[in-house]
Amino acid sequence: MELQFVWGWQPALYLFLGGMGAGAFVMAAVLYLKGKAKSSLVMSASMWAAAVSLMVGLLLLLMELITPVRGLLMWQSFSHFTSWMTYGAWGAFGAIVVFCASALLAMPPVDRWLTAHGTWYAAHGSAVRSTLAVIGMALGVFVAFYTGMLLMSAGSVPLWDTPLLPALFTVSAFDTGVALVEIVTVALAKKDAVSANAKRLMERSVVVLVLVEVLVMVAFFGTLLAPGASDAVAAAASASATELLSGQLAVWFWGLVAVAGLALPLVMAVRGLCAVEHPAEGADDASAAEAEAPSSRRSRFDAVTFVGAAGALVGGCALRFLILAAGVHADVVSETIFRMIN
Amino acid sequence: MNESVNVTRRVALKASAAGACAIALGGGMVLAREADAREPLPASDSTKSQYGFLTALSRCSGCGRCVEACREGNALPDDVPDRRKVSSFQRDRGRTFFISTSCMHCAEPSCMSVCPAGAIYKDENGLVRVNDDRCIGCKYCYQACPYEVPHYSSVAMDKCDACQKAGVKVGEEDPYCVRACKFGALKFGPIEELLAVTNGAAEPIAKPNGPSCLVLGTE
Repeated sequence: MELQFVWGWQPALYLFLGGMGAGAFVMAAVLYLKGKAKSSLVMSASMWAAAVSLMVGLLLLLMELITPVRGLLMWQSFSHFTSWMTYGAWGAFGAIVVFCASALLAMPPVDRWLTAHGTWYAAHGSAVRSTLAVIGMALGVFVAFYTGMLLMSAGSVPLWDTPLLPALFTVSAFDTGVALVEIVTVALAKKDAVSANAKRLMERSVVVLVLVEVLVMVAFFGTLLAPGASDAVAAAASASATELLSGQLAVWFWGLVAVAGLALPLVMAVRGLCAVEHPAEGADDASAAEAEAPSSRRSRFDAVTFVGAAGALVGGCALRFLILAAGVHADVVSETIFRMIN
Repeated sequence: MNESVNVTRRVALKASAAGACAIALGGGMVLAREADAREPLPASDSTKSQYGFLTALSRCSGCGRCVEACREGNALPDDVPDRRKVSSFQRDRGRTFFISTSCMHCAEPSCMSVCPAGAIYKDENGLVRVNDDRCIGCKYCYQACPYEVPHYSSVAMDKCDACQKAGVKVGEEDPYCVRACKFGALKFGPIEELLAVTNGAAEPIAKPNGPSCLVLGTE
């Protein structure tokens, strides 16, 4: 099967970065609203990471355009509201604005300055941040969903033409988003550690999201490979799925998406949960566990978290590249001609 | 070809940086005035008749003259892919058939509905046209087209417009590809008339989007 390369690496990376950024903001906002992450530094850094991911993704998409300058004229170039790309462009633009505003207000120096210099902000700052977090979450969910809808709404690529694709990309976006926040947490652990509750919430989120993603993926491939229609569209859907599962893309799919992106984060999250809830387990004896320094336990926890999160990011990125590459059109003309000549 | 892609990306990078600066400095106002001055798009419901192609399987020799005539008539630069292609199909019992196709000028073009810029429209003859001044080159139309028709130049999406930009008048002259066919394998006209000419024997080339391309079988 000839792979799809009209949309190359920039759109693939955009779909990954856009989804990851959206998911990261949602995770950071959930932690903020639940009050489990006491650290504003981690919160702010996570929100900046989400905003930067989305911005870099859009920049990549702009690079892919034939006329990027015209693409910047958003009121003209994204004015046709029968296209999901139009909704996505405005949704991503709004998300960047809200993500940046939230990230800025979450920065400790900015928060201190505004509180000291503005009586209104001192009284309402928390409400403003909460409102921005909620709006940002809604935009984040939309952007995560949109990355899949962009492909599905093309309508002529059988691999993409199923509601299970937006479902898969949305779950994967949240999964990679949690991974990004985890990496920020690990990177800033020495400066500003988040609470054990926040860590546990993220580990539990990883477990649930990986399991849901596996279920959606099984349904996705099951639908594509289901016997039934024997037309060109069904043949192309089946060929694309086969290409991913046992064809030339299979090594990448199983190695990067299934093992690195799903199995590894799941194992690491379960290990992390066990380490947090049963810290003495695994030690040779109680005295050895007591003797272990808290900093050593923390660094082991961080390493486990980091490995799982890195795997999730690699898997999420590979998923977008592979789904794009395997997205070929059905040969509907050949179907008619062969019927006519035979 | 690879070279032209690289140049496009380099230009894209420079242009995006320039565009960002332009907006930051208020240059967006200039660009907006330029955009407003461009040719207004026809309304999407302006179609009065539906023109299309008829291609006869038994007559096409696969010579490719239509492809060359299309390139010459429309003065396509070397870096622009062919707008028309000739495909071959081998019958179970051995004989090979050829068919020449280009844009299907669909009744319901999905390229038009997915274009975020509204750069694709149907004209009064039902021909699917591209406004080069609006196209941003996102290539979404390629993914949406069931027939993989859209290609891309360094300016915009490029595809068959039945030689409209080359000055051919619909109803008075045939497109260059039709004129070049020595075997009468290609015809162009209102789709109802083309169907009547074949006494209803021709059939649409496929189902998706209601293509305005009829195929006459092996007779």
